[in-house]
This record gives sequence, structure tokens and C-alpha cells, in this order.
Amino acid sequence: MKNFVDAYSWINITYLFKGLLITLEVSIISLLLSFIIGSFLGVIRYSRIKWVSGTVGFIIDIIRNLPLLLIIFFTYFALPKLQIHLSIMQAAISALTVFESAMIAEIVRSGINSVPIGQTEGARANGLTSIQTMWHIILPQAYKKMIPPLVSQFISLIKDTSLATIIVLPDLMYHAQIIYGQNNNYIIPMFLAISIMYFVVNYALSLIARWLDRRLV
Amino acid sequence: MKINKIKILMLPILMIVSTLVLTACGQTKSSSSQNQLTTIKNTHQMVWGVKADTKLFGLMNIKTSKIEGFDVDMAKEITKRIDPKAKPVFVQVTSQTRIPLLKNGNIQAIIATMTITKEREKIVDFSKSYFNAGQSLLVMKGSKIKNTKDLNKKGTVVLGTVGSNSVLNIKKVAPKAKVLQLQDYAQALTALKSGQGDALTTDNGILYGMSEQNPQTRVVGGTFTKEPYGVAIDKGQTDLKNSINKAIDEIQQDGTYRKLIKKWFSNVPGFDWRELLND
Repeated sequence: MKNFVDAYSWINITYLFKGLLITLEVSIISLLLSFIIGSFLGVIRYSRIKWVSGTVGFIIDIIRNLPLLLIIFFTYFALPKLQIHLSIMQAAISALTVFESAMIAEIVRSGINSVPIGQTEGARANGLTSIQTMWHIILPQAYKKMIPPLVSQFISLIKDTSLATIIVLPDLMYHAQIIYGQNNNYIIPMFLAISIMYFVVNYALSLIARWLDRRLV
Repeated sequence: MKINKIKILMLPILMIVSTLVLTACGQTKSSSSQNQLTTIKNTHQMVWGVKADTKLFGLMNIKTSKIEGFDVDMAKEITKRIDPKAKPVFVQVTSQTRIPLLKNGNIQAIIATMTITKEREKIVDFSKSYFNAGQSLLVMKGSKIKNTKDLNKKGTVVLGTVGSNSVLNIKKVAPKAKVLQLQDYAQALTALKSGQGDALTTDNGILYGMSEQNPQTRVVGGTFTKEPYGVAIDKGQTDLKNSINKAIDEIQQDGTYRKLIKKWFSNVPGFDWRELLND
């Protein structure tokens, strides 16, 4: 019991929260970037120009089938060989963005596919261009349907940031490691504390998603 | 069907292209090929890779957000002697990341409980040894294991950390034992305490630090290897290597070394810090 009391000292807890801030910062930036890039790729994937959608689909397939850990290693250890030097933060964000964009692109594509073809035909018959049809008619309907899979993807993104500990990103997981490095008896209390932190953040996200879902549908 | 054919065609092409790109990169000299000693003297900073999770050698102080330890103090002293104006900059590394970071030029030198080995000397250059560690065993109090001979049986599990030299050593000394490699020392110790292994092996200095905090564990069997720690630098940085060696000589001769050893190792129970001054 004494270990728990000592482990949760004020200094340790504030240090953990500093780690949580980095986790959130990395997650939010890569979440926004991958949402934009993923949507764009998803729309291209849907386009009727065969070789464009085929090439994009091929690249997405490669990325989706690689372990995220490998992509993180690549951005941090292999890119410098190509004279691209990224900081730990930039490397983690780019790796997560690349991986999540591929996942989101597939979600967006299936979302667009789920909008009945009649919507497109109706919009085009009314004289909208194909870009206008996509932007004003198809995407708003598609995004509503995509909320549940998108949110579960975002939740896994937040959890996946902990993989960047391997390149020493000072996130929640790494800060916990530093604390139990001071005293090895803190390892279980720290794992418990960060479990609660990850849960609270992710649960809040899913509550927001449920609320959005109810508002929009 | 058409897309499938394209995919099948593209796969080998992509593989060939990526192999070419990678081999081409291997041949071109990276940015680390410039003379690091000149860089240090021009920029007035020396970038060191240090550990942040190892007691006594390199440990993050949460209150000050500064890394403290014997390795860190040595790095400060060496930097001061190479260029009095230069400031040491510390980058946190782990056993897995330190060599890639050095090779990529992110750091100029590694001082992170790194043993000088022949395997590693193929990839990096080492300074002369600045610390004489030796590998030992940590077991639970009352364990039947007294030395490495007791480990060499089928069914025994030895715990270590990923990428460390001690794991390779134990495979030679006790080939019949199973070796379980964990991410860091704290995880390895927790595994030992929860009965997932019979002994934890790493360098004695680190084990004494663990034993100090966990009275139910014991360091047994003495040291069974010599693990001289060295400063690692990239291959071909002869100027930097020579000035680091010169600095280490000065530190040992002017009494700074004795002071630092006493500062970090005189409080470890069951360990006479004066032993470290011999050899």
C-alpha cells in the first residue's frame, strides 16, 4: 500500500499529466491531419478514373497492412538516410498521420459507397458538377454514417501514440516509465494510473461521438 | 481484373526500386561524415545520448526535468575538457535507439552504460573504458540459484533487457536456460518479483540499485564477466575519439574521477565503491 501512496505523490502526478498533454497534442494534430488527408484519399479512391483510384488504393493497401511500429521506426530511423531529419515529435506525428490516413481513407470510401446512387443521379440531373455533388450532397450524408467507425479509429489513434515510446517520445507512457525508473516498486501503480487516464480520455471521446450521433441523425 | 494485374506487376518493381534507393543511401556518406570535433568547437555544443531510466548512471529527475547520473557527470566533464566554451546537450536514448541515432547524426557521442564489445566495434568506435562494470545475477531472497552454474538447466528462465550485451553473455554461460528479454529494467524486476523468471541479469551497478529498493532480492554469484563501459562515437571520427580519450585520462589523473565515483556509488549497500578505482 505504501508504494501506492508514494507513487501518487503530487510531483509524480503532475509529471504524468505533462505526458498526457504530449499524448493529446500528438493525437490531436495527427487526428486533424489524417482526417483531411484520409478524406481526400477516400474521395480519390471513389473516383472513376481507374489508374488514379487503383494507384491510391494500392498505396493504402500497403500502409494498412504494415504494423504501425514499423512505420514509426521508418520515419525516425530510415528517413534521415534520405537526408530528411525529423524531430521525435514530427516523426511520431508523420508516422501516425500516414497510418491513420490510410485507415480513414477506407472508412470514407465505404461511407461514400453507402450513400444511395440515386442521390448522385438526382444531384447531377439538377445540374450540379461532380465536385459540387460530392461536397454538398454526398459527403454530408456519408460523414453522418461514418461517425461510429471514425470515432473508434480516433480512439485507437490515441492509444497508438504509446507505440512512439520506442523512439523516446515523452508521452504519457514514457513519463510513466521514467517514474517507475526512479523506484521499481512504482510500476504497478503507474500502469494503473495511466490506464485510468487513457480510459477517461477515450471514454469522453466516445460520449461526444454518441451525442453527435444523436444530434445529427 | 486489370487492377490486379497492375498490382502483381508493381510489387516486384516497387521492391527493386526500394532496394536500389536503400543501397544507394548506404553508399552515400551521411552528414555524420564531417569532422565532429570541428563541429563541436564551432557550434560550442556537444550532443550526447544518455539514458533516462537507469538509476545511478542516467535518470530523469522529475522535479528539475534534468537527467542525472554518473554517465551524465562524465559527459559534462569530458565536454568541458574538449572545449571549455562548449555546452553539453543531452538526448534521451534507450539500448535500441542509441546506435541508429549516432549513425544518423542526431547525437555526436553515446555515454549510456554501453559495454565495449567486438560486435559493436564493427559499427561504432569506442573511447577507452571509463567504468569497469561486471555482469551479475539478482534473485529473490531464499532462491536456490547461487551462481551461473545453477542457471544452466532446462526450465530455468533468465530475465534481461532488449538489446543489452548481458543477454548475449548469459546465453554463452548458461546455454540451457531460456532468456526472456523485457523493455526496461523496471519491467524485468517486476517480472522477477511476480515469478516469471528465476534470475535477472545485468551489470552489477544497476543490480545493486535495484536491490537497495527491494529488500526481498539479493545480488548473488559475484561478477562473471568484465563489462567495460566506453563512450561510443561514429566510425572515422578519430579526432573526436582522441580528444575524448585525452579528457578521460585527465579526469582520472586530477582526482575528478574518484570524486564522481564516490558521489554516485558510495551509498550502494554491499558494494565497495573503491573497487571501481582499481584495474
